[in-house]
Amino acid sequence: MSVARRAWLDALVAALDPARDLLVAGLGANARYLPHLPVRVPHFALCDAMGAAIPLALGMALARPDRRVVALEGDGSLLMNLGTLVTVAAAGAPNLTALVFVNHHYESSGGQRLPAVPADFAAVARGAGLPTAEKIDAAGDLAAALARCAPGGPALLVLPTAYDPAEMVPPYSERPDEIRLSFRRALQGLAPHPRGGGGTTRPRGDTRRRAP
Amino acid sequence: MSPDAVPATRGGARAITAALEEAGVTLVPSVPDTWIGWLMEELRRSRTLRVIDVAREEDAVAIACGAALGGARAAVVIQNAGLLNCGAVIASLVQLYRIPCFFLVSYRGDARDPVYYHAPKGERTEPTLAAWSVRHVRAEGPARIGVQIRQAVAWVEEAQAPLALSFSAEDLA
Repeated sequence: MSVARRAWLDALVAALDPARDLLVAGLGANARYLPHLPVRVPHFALCDAMGAAIPLALGMALARPDRRVVALEGDGSLLMNLGTLVTVAAAGAPNLTALVFVNHHYESSGGQRLPAVPADFAAVARGAGLPTAEKIDAAGDLAAALARCAPGGPALLVLPTAYDPAEMVPPYSERPDEIRLSFRRALQGLAPHPRGGGGTTRPRGDTRRRAP
Repeated sequence: MSPDAVPATRGGARAITAALEEAGVTLVPSVPDTWIGWLMEELRRSRTLRVIDVAREEDAVAIACGAALGGARAAVVIQNAGLLNCGAVIASLVQLYRIPCFFLVSYRGDARDPVYYHAPKGERTEPTLAAWSVRHVRAEGPARIGVQIRQAVAWVEEAQAPLALSFSAEDLA
């Protein structure tokens, strides 16, 4: 059973606590959706650096033990950097929760399939030493799962995500400088830096992970 | 001194530790090599530095960037072999987002390191850093390395860019 990405993201955005949470999105559809969602917490989105979202969030979590950091990563990105789970477990940041969107495709580069193995990411995470790792099957269960993770992380939640080749994923609509400045200002409690935002939707595959 | 012989004194390693503390660094994500192992014995004694043992060098870079975004200072401590792994994350995270990132690199394979199998990466490291537009500074001995670290940390903050300060075993003695 898999859930539409947008349903996961809507549930996530509603569950985040502006007084507590920070959000990091790995490259791809999650990062491209963020400017179009009512995200009320400081958020930082990658448009490249595949596989870096979770260690980036770890650094943030270590720097800000007063905040919970939620990292969004795709299954392809996590496979590129699976060893990061050991790093996360060893660092032991209790305020880090990673959400892994599992759709078995490299969505941003045109929908190529991942290596055809039904990897059990929750089991891998537990094997790497994360104290909390579980699969969530319904968007309505995400808020409760995040609440369970909050005090005892680091944690990893696996989100089975529907792959829809016809989904109109918005393009990247913010520049890296804007993203960095807006994040820093939001973290300092300042008014947001004017962000690009908006933009029209385009079919997936309008950006490439690597140059052809 | 033999390149892999433990230095009898650790004045340089202690100077590095003190300089990182004085520069406000609190996180040290690291992948070890022999020389870094000696340095780590000093770094782990610090009351203000936290060493983060990472599985691969790109993780160390991302952790340092996350720390910087969160308002902390980090020093990525890796060997030049690991630095050579980091081209993509330097370009697509550090440089794309203009995040300060300070590297303290054990430089294997240059004229100060007679171990033959390090030589190819020693020859390629500086040209690679130049091609990546990463500023590179060589440590100038135990007496100078503390000043160089403080200058380097200040530079990356001002420039919002990466800088690699490389050291040899001699610089730790």
